[in-house]
Amino acid sequence: MILTLAWRNVWRNSRRTLINVVSIALGVWLTVTSVGLADYSYRQMIDDSARMGLGHVTIQPIDYLDAPSLKKTIAETATRQESIAAHRQTRAAATRITGQAMFASASRSIGGSFLAIDPKQESRDINIFLRSLVEGEAFTNSEVRAVLVGEVLAKNLKLSVGRKLILTAVDRHGEVVSELFRVCGIFRTGVVEIDGRMAVIPIERARQMLHYAPDEATMISVFVDDYRNADVVRDLLATVIPRDAASVLTWRQTQPELASLSDVDRGMNYLFLFLLGLLIAAGVLNTSLMSVLERRHEFGIMMAIGTRPGQLSAMILIEAASMGFVGLLAGAILCVPWAYYLIAVGLDMSSVMGEDYTAANVLIDPIWHITLYPGRMFAIAAMLFTLTLIAALYPAFTAARARPIESLRDAA
Amino acid sequence: MSMYPLILAFRSLGRNRRRTLVTSGATAFAGFLMIVYSALVAGMMRTMERSVIAFEVGDVQLHARGYRDDPDLYRRIDNATALADRLSKKESGVYAAPRLYGGALAAAHEASAGVEVRGIDLLREPRVTEIASAVWKGQWLSGEDPRGIVLGKKLARSLGVAIGDEVVLLGQAADGSMANDAYRVRGVLKSISERADQAGLFVTEAAFRELFTLPEGHHEIALTRGHATLETVESIALAETRGLPIEVATWRTIQPAIAKMIDNSMAGRVIMLLIFYSAIAMVILNATLMSVFERIREFGIMKAIGVGPWYIGRIVFFEVVLQSCFASLVAIVAGLPLALFLERHGWDLTALAGDMNIAGIAWEPVWYAFVDFETVALPILFLLVVVSVASLYPGVKAAIISPKEAIYQR
Repeated sequence: MILTLAWRNVWRNSRRTLINVVSIALGVWLTVTSVGLADYSYRQMIDDSARMGLGHVTIQPIDYLDAPSLKKTIAETATRQESIAAHRQTRAAATRITGQAMFASASRSIGGSFLAIDPKQESRDINIFLRSLVEGEAFTNSEVRAVLVGEVLAKNLKLSVGRKLILTAVDRHGEVVSELFRVCGIFRTGVVEIDGRMAVIPIERARQMLHYAPDEATMISVFVDDYRNADVVRDLLATVIPRDAASVLTWRQTQPELASLSDVDRGMNYLFLFLLGLLIAAGVLNTSLMSVLERRHEFGIMMAIGTRPGQLSAMILIEAASMGFVGLLAGAILCVPWAYYLIAVGLDMSSVMGEDYTAANVLIDPIWHITLYPGRMFAIAAMLFTLTLIAALYPAFTAARARPIESLRDAA
Repeated sequence: MSMYPLILAFRSLGRNRRRTLVTSGATAFAGFLMIVYSALVAGMMRTMERSVIAFEVGDVQLHARGYRDDPDLYRRIDNATALADRLSKKESGVYAAPRLYGGALAAAHEASAGVEVRGIDLLREPRVTEIASAVWKGQWLSGEDPRGIVLGKKLARSLGVAIGDEVVLLGQAADGSMANDAYRVRGVLKSISERADQAGLFVTEAAFRELFTLPEGHHEIALTRGHATLETVESIALAETRGLPIEVATWRTIQPAIAKMIDNSMAGRVIMLLIFYSAIAMVILNATLMSVFERIREFGIMKAIGVGPWYIGRIVFFEVVLQSCFASLVAIVAGLPLALFLERHGWDLTALAGDMNIAGIAWEPVWYAFVDFETVALPILFLLVVVSVASLYPGVKAAIISPKEAIYQR
């Protein structure tokens, strides 16, 4: 009975209700868009950053994080990599060596970092350098003297495909070692700090140069389908890898800057949405309060014929709830084509932000897409719905306080 | 113009105080948020700009022609120190400092790293940038300690060195010989930019010249503008170097991503204002519509006795404007002190995050606001425009009421 009454009341003043429904629907739309855009950009940044070398989960020598050194290595990488790659929870795993080096061409020398990879374990999917080759081709053999260099590094060293580069580093014994490579490809990630400092070489050649054993390396990079599962996979791998052999870390630990950036951005985003929700709730409060004050006469009659105050309150709350529900529904209907558009086509922001915008050393895609996680969407709906209900508490309380006699007399 | 519509509007606001309070409360809250938000965004942009200018780049830079495209040890500005002194204009706070750059391999006990060695003019550099105050651990360079070096934060970590540790630099000297010398870590910088963090190794000018066997010339001259405008300093530099093989560039050319971000921050602010104020527009639209419908009979009677539609429209419009002016006042009274507080003390986000970098420039997680006339005026002005627009529909609705129907309505 109360339910029917409440539903009818909602549509009594349909213009007023519609304005509230529209504002809730716009709230849903805005929230879904901004959370979706943010989730997409975090995913893109974290995945891209993982592809730059470390993976979502990294197995590396103990203490390497605090003081990286080519003297610190992990052993038995071949068997470990295979068993990890075969695991159900992981998408891929690759053994890699990374370190600092000096690159010299005929014209000059520049400092930077190298990443040594095994082409058999790599793919465009897990390696950003293979994915962003703009000239030449990647090496397919892990013993050749071939190197992929960043575009800016190539320019600064005046290198082109086929030219020679000398890489100098300190080997595992602390001796300075040099090796000659020939440029076989040039990549452009779009991040100047990376394109100007990075070279990719074959892993066997690197092992020979650094005097490593055949299955020694500085890390195994592990990739997962959803970066949010990194913790689960880390815990899983930590049980397989002996504690004294290596440490298993997630991207949050290996790239604290990226974690900070996404945490702060997410925090700001949620704060912003919550405040916006408060404003929407103020609109609901106003409408609900007015509709209560308008109906004092009615409430007086209802109470006079035996309706209890609690029932009146319940009615007001149900009114607000149904308005919130219709608003959420309208918002969801509004979002479907929009979300579909953003996922399939995206918003081209390149004219505003340029094509070279980076944060935490990751290029931000100027075409904005969204990622919608069901859990997050549910939380948005729950938040807006709860705020609507909270906004109706005061009017509901006011309604319940009405005294039949006074209400009847006042309103007459 | 008669004052009556204003008085009538004021009185009708008092009729339903609770509604007026909720509406203007929400409006004030939105205005308050936007003032604080504007100040925070403006503050962030200024911090970024300052980080670029104050710690590393300076306002304007001079290089030998072609150096920026192709940084070469041999592409130098001759007599750069004299040129730098000619460029300095003490009265307007314009100062210039020459710099040297060279690539080398730094080897420490545990590890090695490719570095960008920067030769610093200890006398002139402190007048141009605040790099000397960006020391996180240890001390800045000193002429009395020619073997002392200062490193970027990430570089110190990847080399695994602390204050007092030895670092050997290996490189190619200008005369083709092998450059090779041992140094001692004197200081470590806090994060300033990705480039300086990862590879920056600062030495005195004398030490640089000895290492690279480079008796003369500089690679860069950095200028700070003091009280002068960027354009003035740029034109001073252009005038001084006319006819010389020297290129002049402002920091905006050297750090285009940051410049673009700052330019676009206004668009971001306007979007945020639009979002928040559209929520407020809904609240006001609804409240005003309600109050108009409650008074349909009144308006009908007024029209019947000869009051024109404009007059009635004005009453509604004034109601909204009065309410919003009150709300704006509250917003300023609440928002300005908070914004000023955040300008002075910052918003400490260290619990949430560590160091970050955006577009290659370090950003510490203490967020300082910046308050000027615009950060307050823009949100308020925008608010008044938005609410005025929101009052149009109810205003028109009230103005075009047909007296006959209105009076018959219950």
